[in-house]
Amino acid sequence: MSAAGATFGSGRSVGLGFSLLIVALYVFLLMPLVTIVGASFTSGLMIEFPPQGFSLQWYQEFLSRKDLVDGLLMSLRVAAITAVVTTVIAVMAALAGQAMAGRMAGWFHLGMTLPLLVPELLTAVGLLFFLYKIGLGKTVLGLQFGHILMAFPYAYVSITAALRQVPPSLEEASSSMGATGWQTFRLVILPLVMPGVAMGAIFAFINSFDLYTISLLLKPIGGNTLPLALFDFLTYEFKPTAAAAATLSILLSLVGVVLVQRLVGLQRAF
Amino acid sequence: MATVEAIKLHKRYHDFVALDDVTLRAESGQLVTLLGPSGCGKSTTLRCLAGFLDPEGGDITLDGESILKLPSNRRGFGVVFQNYALFPHMTVAENIGYGLRLQKCPKPDMARRVGEAVDLVRLNGLEDRLPRQISGGQQQRVALARALVMKPRLLLLDEPLANLDARLRDEVRWLIRDLQQQSGITAFYVTHDQSEAMAMSDMVAVMKAGRVAQFATPREIYQKPVERYVADFTGEANFLACQSVAEQGSGQYRIEAGGTVLTVAGVQGLNGRAELLVRPETLRLAAPDEAADFNGRIVKCAFVGASQLCEIALPDGGTLKLTAAPNTPVHVGDAAAVVMDRAQAWLMPEVAP
Repeated sequence: MSAAGATFGSGRSVGLGFSLLIVALYVFLLMPLVTIVGASFTSGLMIEFPPQGFSLQWYQEFLSRKDLVDGLLMSLRVAAITAVVTTVIAVMAALAGQAMAGRMAGWFHLGMTLPLLVPELLTAVGLLFFLYKIGLGKTVLGLQFGHILMAFPYAYVSITAALRQVPPSLEEASSSMGATGWQTFRLVILPLVMPGVAMGAIFAFINSFDLYTISLLLKPIGGNTLPLALFDFLTYEFKPTAAAAATLSILLSLVGVVLVQRLVGLQRAF
Repeated sequence: MATVEAIKLHKRYHDFVALDDVTLRAESGQLVTLLGPSGCGKSTTLRCLAGFLDPEGGDITLDGESILKLPSNRRGFGVVFQNYALFPHMTVAENIGYGLRLQKCPKPDMARRVGEAVDLVRLNGLEDRLPRQISGGQQQRVALARALVMKPRLLLLDEPLANLDARLRDEVRWLIRDLQQQSGITAFYVTHDQSEAMAMSDMVAVMKAGRVAQFATPREIYQKPVERYVADFTGEANFLACQSVAEQGSGQYRIEAGGTVLTVAGVQGLNGRAELLVRPETLRLAAPDEAADFNGRIVKCAFVGASQLCEIALPDGGTLKLTAAPNTPVHVGDAAAVVMDRAQAWLMPEVAP
């Protein structure tokens, strides 16, 4: 401690500097959020911060705009289905990856996380061609497909990390007492990795809710997700309605996280 | 209960030969220990028996019938692991009842059997605790109860005491042996601790680089090892190089070692190079007018309370370790005359052919 103090000035000032850095980081991270939420309650006509006065008129305006509400509903639906389907597939993939050994497992892991490494635009273009080939171009199903693909690595990584925490001897113990593979999974493995699975589902949901490029290229004819609808909206009118929409979606995400937390208990790990 | 045989098991990982021709046999109700350093194949053997690993060659039989094709969940064996392998999200009672629950055992019946098992390992009052809320020794007793409640045909224990501290180790060791003998269950027990192996087993298999170096009773392993490796691994030992070895029939040899000519027992059919095994407790310092077997000089000496540990250099370059009574006057540099219990000396090859 004294050596560090001699080099970097007194320990007290190091502590102070560090605290300031943390505060700066939080300000940096939270500023857009605060700005948007604040701006959504303005009684003025522009997105501005600090807001002028207080009113809920922009929420009213948002709810009366069919294009935005439709976008929100579409986004929620796609994200919910993405979360469920992605999580199920990711659990299966993570179990498969776990069962492999050595170099094989490394390649498998790389393959499963590939969508993270390929630029989103390239994936989107590729998918567009592919989906047209199989007759799903510009359909909701096609869009759903794209979202699942993009969300998959997040769920996979989260669930794999949880599975690695489970000692292999638990599976062996279960098997030695007569459990089938399925029984071991349901009674031992799944309850233990549930927090990781829930995290995976939340990641998948939020990822899908935020996707822009994929949605832009794959969106069904006449349909829009919320990010797309908002962008269209902002192109022509710079009104606080967009801020209200953003605030609502932040709120929805939070509700989702809290709900999952309540249902499975994220802390109930080892 | 059941006689279990492993016959000529072979197993390799890439270039590493994990098991090479391992043959073992546990008679009904016997506890057989697999003893050896890490990497000798003892755990691999146990895992083959449990069905967690498939050997590439050989067979495993239970009462003469091959069980090699049965997956681990249909062998009906109880397994106790070094890290306990309790299910962390289940209570003690749920852990113990896990196998019964899988068998769709009726609730009252299950409660009774779990209760009996809890009594057996003396964990009363802890039934509703989670594994992380009880001590290591208690956790291992849960693991034991969990295995025994299924009335397994074979009990497999993989270094069950390795994670426990010395005091608990003793307690759990005797509990395991008592329960195993009471229930008459055949058991295989893996350990690298020779005193554990000696104290608990009916039979000991000393393993060396994937092979069984010797498979015999603890007494025979200790007193009549087939080679130096076995003698070394089973306790303190002195080895004396022998100059001339002449067989006199029926396993008796006339040899010259440590500057003395002796007749001793040894491994059958020895010829060529051999070593004399002399356990320290078969040696003592000679009384003033007693005829000595060896004459040498004290080179090391340490007082350890109950006794003194001495090391004696012999004229031919060999050394003997022995324990002397705590108040015998011994000094480094003194001449020392040593008496040996000749019936307990044992002649063996350095490496078994």
